[in-house]
Amino acid sequence: MGILNKELVLSNKDTMNDDGEENPDVEVSESESEDEDVKLTERSKTSVYNRDGLLDKLGDISWPKNVEWRHKLSLDINQEQEVDVNDDLARELAFYTQALEGTRQAFVKFQSMQLPFLRPSDYYAEMVKTDSHMVKVKGRLLAEKRKIEEAEERRKARESKKIAKEVQAQKIKERAKQKKEEIESVKKWRQQRQQNGFEKDGEMGLAFEDGKTFEKSTKKRPGVGPADRSGGKANQGGWKGKKGGADGKKKSRDFKDSKFGFGGRKGLKKQNTAETTNDTRNFNKGNFSENKKRKR
Amino acid sequence: MGKKRKHSEAEVTAPVKNDEGAPQRPERTLLGWKDKVEEKESDSTAFRNKEKVLVTCSRRINYRYRHLMMNVVSLLPHCKKDNKVESKESKGATLNELVELKGCSSCLFFECRKQKDLYLWMAKCPNGPSVKFLVNAVHTMEELKLTGNHLQGSRPLLTFSTNFDKDPHWKLLKEMIMQIFGTPKDQRKSKPYHDHVFVFSIVDDHIWFRNYQISVPHNEADKVDRGGLDKMTLVEVGPRFCLNPIKIFGGSFGGQTLYENPFYVSPNQIRALEKKQKAGKYAKKVKAKKRRKMHEISNPMEPDEFADMWKE
Repeated sequence: MGILNKELVLSNKDTMNDDGEENPDVEVSESESEDEDVKLTERSKTSVYNRDGLLDKLGDISWPKNVEWRHKLSLDINQEQEVDVNDDLARELAFYTQALEGTRQAFVKFQSMQLPFLRPSDYYAEMVKTDSHMVKVKGRLLAEKRKIEEAEERRKARESKKIAKEVQAQKIKERAKQKKEEIESVKKWRQQRQQNGFEKDGEMGLAFEDGKTFEKSTKKRPGVGPADRSGGKANQGGWKGKKGGADGKKKSRDFKDSKFGFGGRKGLKKQNTAETTNDTRNFNKGNFSENKKRKR
Repeated sequence: MGKKRKHSEAEVTAPVKNDEGAPQRPERTLLGWKDKVEEKESDSTAFRNKEKVLVTCSRRINYRYRHLMMNVVSLLPHCKKDNKVESKESKGATLNELVELKGCSSCLFFECRKQKDLYLWMAKCPNGPSVKFLVNAVHTMEELKLTGNHLQGSRPLLTFSTNFDKDPHWKLLKEMIMQIFGTPKDQRKSKPYHDHVFVFSIVDDHIWFRNYQISVPHNEADKVDRGGLDKMTLVEVGPRFCLNPIKIFGGSFGGQTLYENPFYVSPNQIRALEKKQKAGKYAKKVKAKKRRKMHEISNPMEPDEFADMWKE
């Protein structure tokens, strides 16, 4: 009979029952070993409840009534609300408030009895957890704090980079606009001058009157040597850090194409030109205190 | 040994006892503390808490439960840890003898079965009641998330929730817990100052145990600063466990059953039920297939008018 009841109870586990009384409680314990405690809704077996026996035994073992509180050190705290067992946070909070309330009452009592109860700062004695253990705890707390801070910093850096990019784009646009306006104004002035019959022999032949101002000059990068088939892209900075960026792959592909397109550069791999002299990108980075002999 | 006998006679009044105790205990660095306090006990037979707890476990105990036992040993300065007992000896009589041999008045026996379930026996010897609990939700003090620390052997403050006073069996349990987990005053290995608090509370018919360290800003040892009580914080020290009472016996490790928990299901039964549920999976699948077939045969579908639409 008991077993049958339990089976019924367990089959109800998954269905949500509306009336609370018949709802079987399934407690899941916190530990990693999955002990599930299934509570029966009713007393399926005749369970013993010997009230008088219990009270007898209680009388047997209890201490005399007039024992001072200092021996017992026990406090009863009222738990106002019913706490749901499965709500971890609420349950722990209830325990915490119980402890807090208890300690407050106890301290008031101690203070009235004028007994020392707080540890002075120079009292050193054996603690229940060793110092080495506390060092580990501290390490863990610090590591967590550091992780959080780093995440914050990274987020901020990302956002500020976005903003900086926008600002930069704005600036370039503005500058281009400025330049255009200025040139236009000078052109106009020139025209005005011509119209007013300003006959002079030295037509200056200003360079920008060809209308070719806004074509990009073919000479792409000023520092490019004649034998540099990569067109200056070989020396573009930052290809070490192109790990996971959005255009990480594109840049390196670009670079490789420009450098090794059409069969790649055969000779002249290392040249002593002005640019390469001052190019220290691949040299040892900071951290000079590290042991160089250690295999990295 | 002689000193023990003198104490057990307890004819000496408390202040005298304190004075002769002070020079012989070099660890106690408080010099003036004992003299300040005058214990006014008028009658000579003062109450003395001479509680001693024997803590043992069964063989083949799990590492987690063994650590829990070690933690409990470190929390109770009035306990004596003993060797593991053979499983045959964990019935009644031998444990009682062991407790008497060690001169203890109560016992905490951690029994681990199948290396999975931990049962805790709490017994008052020689003829007191005893309780068997099932222990769940064990977290030991070694977990790094429990960051508090306190003096080893300082007397704890015990807080109980008021539901302990509702039923006689809870009252009995409360009394036993108070006597076993509370450190006796002036116990030899106890330290002064109260810097941690135990929480025993009944939630969902289980007794939950927590241990917190009290940290309150203070300058003097016997007075809290004016706003101090509000700035008090508690940090959890551990360990944590949850006790499910199974049975209360009238005698120590046996005797008449005074109380049986009607809602208790043993972990073996739970596991058996789970297995049974899983076992029927294949049979259920076959049944379901058969059912579906019968259903299809008995209710044939109407011929679909669009069935030939896409045929070439």
